[in-house]
Order: sequence, then structure tokens, then C-alpha cells
Amino acid sequence: MRAAFLAVNGAVIAFLLTPVAIVLFFAVNPEPFIAFPPTGVSFRWFEKFLTSRDFMAAFGLSLVLGAATVAIAGTLGTAAALAIARGGLPGRRTLTAIFLSPIVLPAILTGFALFQLAMVLGLGRTVWILLAGHCVIAVPYVLRTVLAVLAHSDPALEEAARGLGATPAVAFREVTLPLIRPGVIAGALFAFIVSFDQFPVSLFLVSPGNETLPIAMFNYLRFDSDGTIAAASTVSILLAVLLVLGIERTIGLQEYARL
Amino acid sequence: MAENGGVTLEGVTKTFPGGTRAVDAVSLAIAEGEFFSLLGPSGCGKTTTLRMIAGFEAPDAGRIRVRGADITALPPEKRNMGMVFQNYALFPHRTVAENVAFGLRMRNVPKADIAARVRQALAMVRLEGLEDRRPAQLSGGQQQRVALARAIVVNPTVLLCDEPLGALDKKLRQAMQFELKELHRRLGLTLVYVTHDQEEALTMSDRIAVMRAGRIAQLGTPREIYDRPTSRFVADFIGDTNILDGEPREGGLAMPGGWVSPVASLPPGVRAIALRPEQVRLTAAGGGIVDATVEEANFLGDSMLLKLGLPAGVALLARVPRDADPALTTPGSRAGVSWRPEDPVPLADA
Ligand SMILES: Nc1ncnc2c1ncn2[C@@H]1O[C@H](COP(=O)(O)OP(=O)(O)OP(=O)(O)O)[C@@H](O)[C@H]1O
Ligand SMILES: [Mg+2]
Repeated sequence: MRAAFLAVNGAVIAFLLTPVAIVLFFAVNPEPFIAFPPTGVSFRWFEKFLTSRDFMAAFGLSLVLGAATVAIAGTLGTAAALAIARGGLPGRRTLTAIFLSPIVLPAILTGFALFQLAMVLGLGRTVWILLAGHCVIAVPYVLRTVLAVLAHSDPALEEAARGLGATPAVAFREVTLPLIRPGVIAGALFAFIVSFDQFPVSLFLVSPGNETLPIAMFNYLRFDSDGTIAAASTVSILLAVLLVLGIERTIGLQEYARL
Repeated sequence: MAENGGVTLEGVTKTFPGGTRAVDAVSLAIAEGEFFSLLGPSGCGKTTTLRMIAGFEAPDAGRIRVRGADITALPPEKRNMGMVFQNYALFPHRTVAENVAFGLRMRNVPKADIAARVRQALAMVRLEGLEDRRPAQLSGGQQQRVALARAIVVNPTVLLCDEPLGALDKKLRQAMQFELKELHRRLGLTLVYVTHDQEEALTMSDRIAVMRAGRIAQLGTPREIYDRPTSRFVADFIGDTNILDGEPREGGLAMPGGWVSPVASLPPGVRAIALRPEQVRLTAAGGGIVDATVEEANFLGDSMLLKLGLPAGVALLARVPRDADPALTTPGSRAGVSWRPEDPVPLADA
């Protein structure tokens, strides 16, 4: 029983980690094509990626977009979750469904719709439209995680604070915010990853010279299949791991579990 | 009216969206320093009434006054009331000391004073030494005390308690009842206490408002409520009671089975009386008002509760001393029952 359990777990973990291992393998593979057994270890693809002006511009844009998405979608998603959970609004279910619909709709549809909208309004494909697209996709993730935390926190806590002399704003700062913080952080993390990894929505909204990293990687892949893409992926993976570790260290993700 | 102090409700009404009239034109005057209970079955509007006094719910109609000043439109943070919630509502992310200090911090009390007052409040509820624990690390009784300390440390004009002992086991509950009562006496607070436990209300309160479906069914001292219920509902809700239905007759009420219960003063039109089990006395068969058969006898420790069968299948509960004559209390035996004419309480709404 125990052996079977371990075997299944091992298989699942292997299945999840194999792609990562393959990416790493290609990233340090010195040949411009896939060779097995490997002929050595080299960092030439990292060098190529990190010194490529196009890639670095795309990388920078993706980072900035991700950060802006975290700020905007984090705020909007949290506010929407609070309004839905505590606002006593009519039609809360409908509101939730509308806010969550971008998760359900194929992202390619959302991207196409935003593209059409930008054209109809004559806005063109600017970074602002791109940012808006990323936010539309990211808000549901924040909404979900904050709603989940709110569902477990007692509304009487805010009333208790009010009764003890806190104005609504102070009660929010002193009680509500600390309680929903794990949900907001988790949502923000999702928002960043959804934006940083975003492909279908970006595909419709980027303009030449303003490409995000996934789009730049895709364009590169169409003509070239050397290890640069693997190196770019490795850097992205590393960034994600560092982000999670950083949050874990400073603010503490584990508080999510403690609640 | 309680213009001298206390809390006054004037025609306070609350209808929730969806149409539930939770509180229906309630008027009452709570005196300064009084221990006042709102008592009633689940859903009768006790919590809603309390929440309107606290300011968490706005009445649709009516006024609420404290010491004569109209506070109906004041937000909760401006009312200076203390509230103890049924599930305590302690801030889970703060320590015991921080929980208690919260209200003082909101009032911009200097730091040094806060520490002293928190210590004093925790001592008052006998919780010294637990300052740095989190609520999750406390027992139910300890959490309850923290909630109490947090509410009283700010010297509220009124202390509001919504079934504060509801989650505790019976023994702890009784201990806390004494402590709460003692605390009330020491602080001289006006206390509004919500409970659905009639025993708790009877033992602790100066006065009780018995509520039913959003209205006050009866308001009075525990003795008045217990001894002189004015309606079938109150008689039935407060303690064990016998309700006997009959036809008015000269000097009493004619009962099914052809006997008459003496009733000292029966207002015209009243066809029912309430009689407490402890007011029923047993005598030898033939020596009472009517004869009854003992159907069941339950030993209660300090007394016995008998279930008696009257003529025409009417049941009657009687509480007799534990050393009562076994010949009259063993199931199957026959006994005469009697009561004083002034004991039965006429019930107007029968
Ligand atoms: N927020 C609300 N929305 C709609 N109806 C409500 C709301 N709060 C209470 N009610 C209804 O109002 C009525 C009175 O509720 P309330 O909570 O005051 O009862 P209660 O006497 O405190 O009962 P309990 O002893 O069960 O706590 C109930 O019928 C209840 O369903
Ligand atoms: Mg209630």
C-alpha cells in the first residue's frame, strides 16, 4: 500500500518535472540541435539570450507588464471580491460569473475581442491595450483567491472593530486587510504568472517592436530552434522560483495555510 | 421612561429585504445600570434588536435613545458601546493583549495607559498570563473572557451581549453566569443580554423582555414573568408549566371530566389557566380538588417530577419533595391533587 502510494507519487512528480528537466538539458547543451548523448555543458545559449537586444527588450516589457498587471488586477480583483462578499449587492452571483468569465472563455477569444475593440475604437495596438488585456485575464484569479479567503473570515470581525471605535476605513486597514492578505498575495502571484506567461491574448495585441517575451520566443522559434529558447525558459522558471521564494521569505506564503 | 439614563427604544421596526419583519414596533426603556434580558425562541428578533442598539443594523422606523440622546443615525463607532458576540469575534491575527487593546487604540489612549488598562481588564476576567497567546490557542471559556475584557476595557455606556455563553458547556456556563453578574454589579454597567435560555434569563436579569415574532410578549422582573405570565406563550416558554383549558364558572374554571378548578379572580372571557408544577400538592385520594393517577415519576435529585393523569385524559405535571409519601408517588397509585385558588394564573389569549 505504502509502496504503491510512493510509486504513484513518484510517477506524478516525474511527469511534472520531466519537461523542466528537458528544458534545462537543452539550455546547457552546446550543439545548435538536439544531440544525445550530450557533448558537454555550455552557457552559450544563455549568453545569446541575455545579450540579444530583442529578447532583452521583450523580457523587460514582460516584467513591467507583469508588475503593472499585479498592481491593477490585484486592486480591482480585491475590490470586486470585497464588494461581492461583503457589499450586500443584488445579483452577486451574476457579478461573480461575469468577473470570472475570462477564465472560462478561451483566451484566444478574449484576445480577438479586445483586438476588435481596439480597432473599432481606433486605439491601435498600444501597450495600454496589451496591459488591459492582461488585466482582464488576471482579475479572475485574484477574485477567486480573495473570495476564498473572505468566505472563511467572519464578517462579525469587522463589526467588532467598528463597535470598538474603528471607522470603516480603519476597520478595513486593521482587520479586513490583514485577514485577506494571504489571498491577495496568492492572487497577485497568479496575476503575475498569468501575465508573464500570457500568449493568446498578447498574440492579438502586441505590435511590432513591442513584443512580450512569450511572443518573442514564438517568433524566434519559427525560424530557429537552437538552445536560446531553452535558456529563455530557464531564466523564466528561475524567476518564478525566486519570486515564490522571495514572497515566502519576506511576507510568508505559509500564512495561507495557517488561516 | 428611562430619561434619567439607560437605553430607550421607541417603536423600533426592522424588515429585511425579502420581507421578514424581524422586529415589529418594539418599545422599551432600559434603566441605567440595569441587567436587561431579551428572551425568546430562535428567530424572534433578539439579535436584530441588539444589532440595532449597537448600530450594525438600521431600523426602518422608530428611534433609539441613550441617556435621552437620539443615536438612531449614529454609526457604531460613535456609540461607545461594548459588544460580546455569540462566537466572540476575536481578531485571529492578534494576541489576547492586542485584542483587548484595540478599542483603547481606536480612542488614542496613550501607550503606557493602554498597557495598564489591558492588564487591569484581563485581571478582572481572571486571564492574567495569557497576554501573548492568539485566540486559536485559547479554550472556549478563555476566548469568552477575552471578548468580555475587550468590550469592557473601553468603559462603554452600554454592554451588549448576544448569547455570550451559548457555546460553553453547562458547568462553565453556570460559573460564567455568576462571574458576569458579579462583573455587572462591580462596574454598574447597563447591560443588554440576549438569550434563548429562560433559566439563564431568570437567574441573571433585573428585568426580562420576552419576545415573540418580533414583538414583546411580556416585560417584567423574573418573578413577574415566572409567577404571572400574561399569555399562553409566555407561560409555556418560561419553565415547566401546566396549561388547563376549561369553561368559566362561578368561582373557577370547569374542566373536562366534570370538576372545577378554583381560581381566585378570573377576568371575564378567560378560559385557560397556567399552573406551575411546584404549586400542585398531593393528598390522599378523595382529599383534593380532584383525583389523579400517577403515570410517571422522575427523580430530579432535589425533588420529583410526576406526570399525573386527570379525568378526560388531561395531563398534569407536579413537582413534589423527594421525601413525599411513596404511596402517593409510585406510578399506578391514585392521589388527590389540590392548589390554592390564588395560584392559577389566568391566561388572556387562550
Ligand atoms: N440579514 C438578514 N437578512 C434577512 N433576514 C434576516 C437577517 N437577519 C435575520 N433575519 C431574519 O430575521 C428574523 C429574526 O432574526 P434574529 O437573528 O434577530 O433572531 P434571534 O431571535 O436572534 O434568533 P436566534 O435565537 O436563533 O439567534 C429571523 O426570521 C431571521 O431569519
Ligand atoms: Mg440571535
